[in-house]
Amino acid sequence: MNAPTAPAMAKPASDAAVVKGGPTIGQRLTSMMPLIALAALLAALSIADPDFLTQRSLTAVVRTSAPLVVLAAGATLVVLCGGIDLSIAALASLSTVLFAMWLPDLGGMTTLAVIAAAGTIGAIQGIAHVMLRIPSFIVTLGGMSIFSAVALVISDAGPIRVVDRDATKWLTQYVGGYVPMAFAVALIVVASISIVLKVTPLQSYLTATGYSESAARLAGTPVDRVKVGAFTVSSACAGLAAVMLVSRNYSGSPTMADNLLLPAVAAIVVGGTAITGGHGSVWRSLVGALVITLLRVGLPIVGVPSAYEQILYGAIIVVAVALTLDRSKVLIIK
Amino acid sequence: MTLTSPAEDVDVAAARPQPRRGVSLRDAGPPLALVVVFLVFAGLSSDFRTFGNVQNIMDTAAVLAVVTCGITFVLMMGSIDLSAPGVMGASAIAVALLVANNRNDNDLGLIGVLIAILLAAGLGCLSGFALVMLKVPSFMTTLGVSAVGLGIATLMFAGVQPNISDETLASLAIDRLLGFSYLTWVAVACVLVGYLIQRYSRLGRYAFAIGGAEEVLSLSGVKVAPYKVAVFTLAGAFYGLAGVMVTSQLSAGLVQAGKGYDFAAITAAVVGGTLLTGGRGGVLHSAVGVLLVTVLTNGLVQIGVSPYWQGGVQGLIVVAAVAAAVAPQRRRNQVTK
Amino acid sequence: MTAPAPVHALEVRGLVKHYPGVKALDGVDLVVRQNEVLGLAGENGAGKSTLLKALVGLVRPDAGEIWVRGEKVRLKSVVDAANHGIGMVFQEQSLVPNLTAAENIVLGSEGRGVRRGIYRWDTMRKLAQEQLDKIGSDINPLARTETLSFADRQMVEIAKVLRIEQRSQHPPVIILDEPTSVLESKEIETLFTQVRRLREFASVVFVSHRLDEVLDVCDRVSVLRGGQSVGEVPTAGAVPATLHQMMIGSAGSDDHYHGNVAEPSDQPREMLSIRKLSAKTFRDVDLEVRAGEIVGIVGVHGSGREDVCRALFGAEPTSGGEVYLDGKKLDLSGTRAACAAGIGYVPAERKIEGMVGPMSVADNMTLAKQESRCVGPLVSPPKQAGVVDRWIERLSIRTPHRGTAIQRLSGGNQQKVVLARWLVADDIRLLLLDHPTRGLDIGARSEVYRLMRELANSGVATVLLADSLEEAIGMSDRIVVMSDGRVTSEVPCVAGAKPTPLDLVKEMV
Repeated sequence: MNAPTAPAMAKPASDAAVVKGGPTIGQRLTSMMPLIALAALLAALSIADPDFLTQRSLTAVVRTSAPLVVLAAGATLVVLCGGIDLSIAALASLSTVLFAMWLPDLGGMTTLAVIAAAGTIGAIQGIAHVMLRIPSFIVTLGGMSIFSAVALVISDAGPIRVVDRDATKWLTQYVGGYVPMAFAVALIVVASISIVLKVTPLQSYLTATGYSESAARLAGTPVDRVKVGAFTVSSACAGLAAVMLVSRNYSGSPTMADNLLLPAVAAIVVGGTAITGGHGSVWRSLVGALVITLLRVGLPIVGVPSAYEQILYGAIIVVAVALTLDRSKVLIIK
Repeated sequence: MTLTSPAEDVDVAAARPQPRRGVSLRDAGPPLALVVVFLVFAGLSSDFRTFGNVQNIMDTAAVLAVVTCGITFVLMMGSIDLSAPGVMGASAIAVALLVANNRNDNDLGLIGVLIAILLAAGLGCLSGFALVMLKVPSFMTTLGVSAVGLGIATLMFAGVQPNISDETLASLAIDRLLGFSYLTWVAVACVLVGYLIQRYSRLGRYAFAIGGAEEVLSLSGVKVAPYKVAVFTLAGAFYGLAGVMVTSQLSAGLVQAGKGYDFAAITAAVVGGTLLTGGRGGVLHSAVGVLLVTVLTNGLVQIGVSPYWQGGVQGLIVVAAVAAAVAPQRRRNQVTK
Repeated sequence: MTAPAPVHALEVRGLVKHYPGVKALDGVDLVVRQNEVLGLAGENGAGKSTLLKALVGLVRPDAGEIWVRGEKVRLKSVVDAANHGIGMVFQEQSLVPNLTAAENIVLGSEGRGVRRGIYRWDTMRKLAQEQLDKIGSDINPLARTETLSFADRQMVEIAKVLRIEQRSQHPPVIILDEPTSVLESKEIETLFTQVRRLREFASVVFVSHRLDEVLDVCDRVSVLRGGQSVGEVPTAGAVPATLHQMMIGSAGSDDHYHGNVAEPSDQPREMLSIRKLSAKTFRDVDLEVRAGEIVGIVGVHGSGREDVCRALFGAEPTSGGEVYLDGKKLDLSGTRAACAAGIGYVPAERKIEGMVGPMSVADNMTLAKQESRCVGPLVSPPKQAGVVDRWIERLSIRTPHRGTAIQRLSGGNQQKVVLARWLVADDIRLLLLDHPTRGLDIGARSEVYRLMRELANSGVATVLLADSLEEAIGMSDRIVVMSDGRVTSEVPCVAGAKPTPLDLVKEMV
């Protein structure tokens, strides 16, 4: 067919070019908040405990944070689409059980098998979400119950010891003697997700889907596939986080990761990713996960009973969401 | 002749609304399903069809029924509430420490129960305030408040389990009236009160209306924010009572008293015909949903399915129920978050 | 300033309201006398709805005054307006569907119906019945609102609006916004009886795009055009044509639409061919569009023309029929297939469906045609910059930078970016334009027209759902009339032999 020649416009537009101002100083500051919070926390903890700022304790912090970073980074993709994945922690628990059960048979392939299985489960959740048009939080809340039930049934509600420790030994080692392998892997996950998004149209697809799903669809964006993809990656990350947990605990248990849901959601929103979708990144969730881990490690240092941890998570989630919410998008908040 | 300008708006696509089909099915479906499920299990298992098991089902359903009463009002508004575990945990420990117990010398009896429920109502109120003041979606505020509640419970728990020695409270779960435990009658009373609130109070009717068309309320000069806060407070009070009931059942205060009840209650409400989009269903619908879910889980156990599957069954039910509820409204270019 | 000598029920003086890029109201004057029915007429975009919203406190005017019964007022909310005795029956009905009619009628002013937070259903029913009796309606006040017919719900709405009598001790001013748009003729008769009944004790502002109705039921008609009052006509002796002339004014010369210079016969190739396409809202639609041709589809609300466009783009499901694009059968299963086939769609709701507000101009422009910025599977920022800058220049898009968020541009520039989205890959064959100039000012409109014309001249087939009949006539080579989901007639519209709006209107009824 004959391609149309480019039309040229002679007359300049008669209306004003720009009608609204850019981000205000307050908004810029808010977007820097996670880094500021991280720095402030580090400073505060160093003051409270001069021994804190040593290589050893910092190494311990990042090692602890690794599973959380991976969980949060994966779930961030779902949040960027405008949804939420509440099943990650339960799926990670299930994955620890699967790992422990499959290890004797699969040996070195177990890690990949668990990640693949988790990813497949995530894809099924994603497909249920887009095909049946069920809100993501219901699908994943349902998934959470189902995964917990499956994990309880197949493990007979008890921990399964991992005897063969060689399979996860690599995760417990250190890169260059200082950086824990688990954290290095977490960094690689974050970096690869970020790079893949950046160099392919996926970033545009994800952002458009999150900010304005109908506009994205009417521009031919494969919205459904993007969402299913996000759920798949989110769940695969839960699988990887499970492997990290097993490498640390030498066992799989049907409730091992259950208490990571709240910290993971907190990490995402503290990082500044908007729960309404579109705005945010996996790097932000990395920072958020570090902030949350520091809080968790730091509370006992400054003498706060760890029971306050939960209360703090609750408060942080609400406040962080309030700060990052895109209110122009949701006129009626339910 | 009619002169028309063709370009007049497309936004009024509301068009001529079709008379609603399936209203009767939605109202009659759950009770029908309840009867069918009951008969099926009665046929499959001889243990299921004993009076003892029916008592058992009713007693098991009691706590869930009270939680579901509370969550129904929130769901009717189109909001969601995930705070039940935290709120119930806080009230369960609080009441255990306030009535006669092994940890301190308190013996406040009924007043202790009241204080625990007030604490729970306060937590619910907090969810509501975060929703209307900070404009944070309710599933986030309630997730946060649940964590706060669990934190408070853990603080009060302080590592030593409070066992209650208050006889009235402990006997509620054991003594029976007309074959059912007092807790079951408490639940029946809750459902009744819930129904009256829903039918005859401005709070209940406005909650219903908020789920139907919130913007219309604002246009009519109704300030919806106070009603939203009040509904979350009311829901919190119901969860508080449920927490007290759990303590009574266990004769001890546990932080995990409410574990899983948020999801079970949402499942029950949705199965009963209360839509997550709001404006439909009600306390009676939810009560039927509670019985349906309880009969189903009880029946499965009776025919030999592992009790661990309970949550899984609920998960499947809720996804299926929501999918069935949204199926008629599915459009190709629909936004689902 | 003193009050005007004859005390009017409502008076508006020099009302001005700006929206980003558009002047919705540009000094509107309006007088509503006691116990009269005033008609308000104007084309789409003339400022009717903004004016009405200002009258019930939903929009705060930038300048100008509103006087109620000789008293200057500031209306901050609907409740405020109600306290001054002004109430509106909204176009999209403002009832809570799952409440009873009685609750809706007294909503927000329950009075004796609720005591200490407890409903007294009996009193409530009586209060509602009083209201319904005023308009002589026999609706059961305890019926669930959603089970009532549309006409009945409108009665409920009128009964509800009349509750403002309880708030202000004066005869109310009732505004009816497009009350007849979805009513059957018999229901319209009932409504008109109601309006005449209302006149006994209230003043009525009646807004409708059906001019014969306006002339039938009103005492006077006030006409708006381009956000300004252009005159008042007593209805006695007036005919629709008079009003219509005032509504469209002298705008719409061929020059404004950049006349179609190329003869349509230059491009005889059939680009789009629709055979018996059916869906929920339309049936057996047949339509041919040749390459280089602009075909306008006109029709009143409910004609189904928007849905035809969306179905062609794969955004609405179809139930039957086939579509061929350039001889090849088109896959209607989704928007992605349509994009790949070289179809572009510009939705009417630009801000919601047309653009991704916080995303940059560049990313919005290349959203649909990712290949235009990719090398292989990877995004190439230099390639994207080149393509985007070229189109920013070609279409004179005024933006500080290609990285600026599109929501910061003015409406006209936003629309040009949305249009450019379909041009960047040079593979566009069919353009579906749903109200492409909605909300744009005259300058921006003219630029969009020019762009459409140039695309057509380069061989693109265009389906246009115009913002007004004049636009349809000015831009189209051929006009297809749809009514009730069917194509009812076709009117040739070549340069030099254009039909008049009245010619089209005859076809539309």
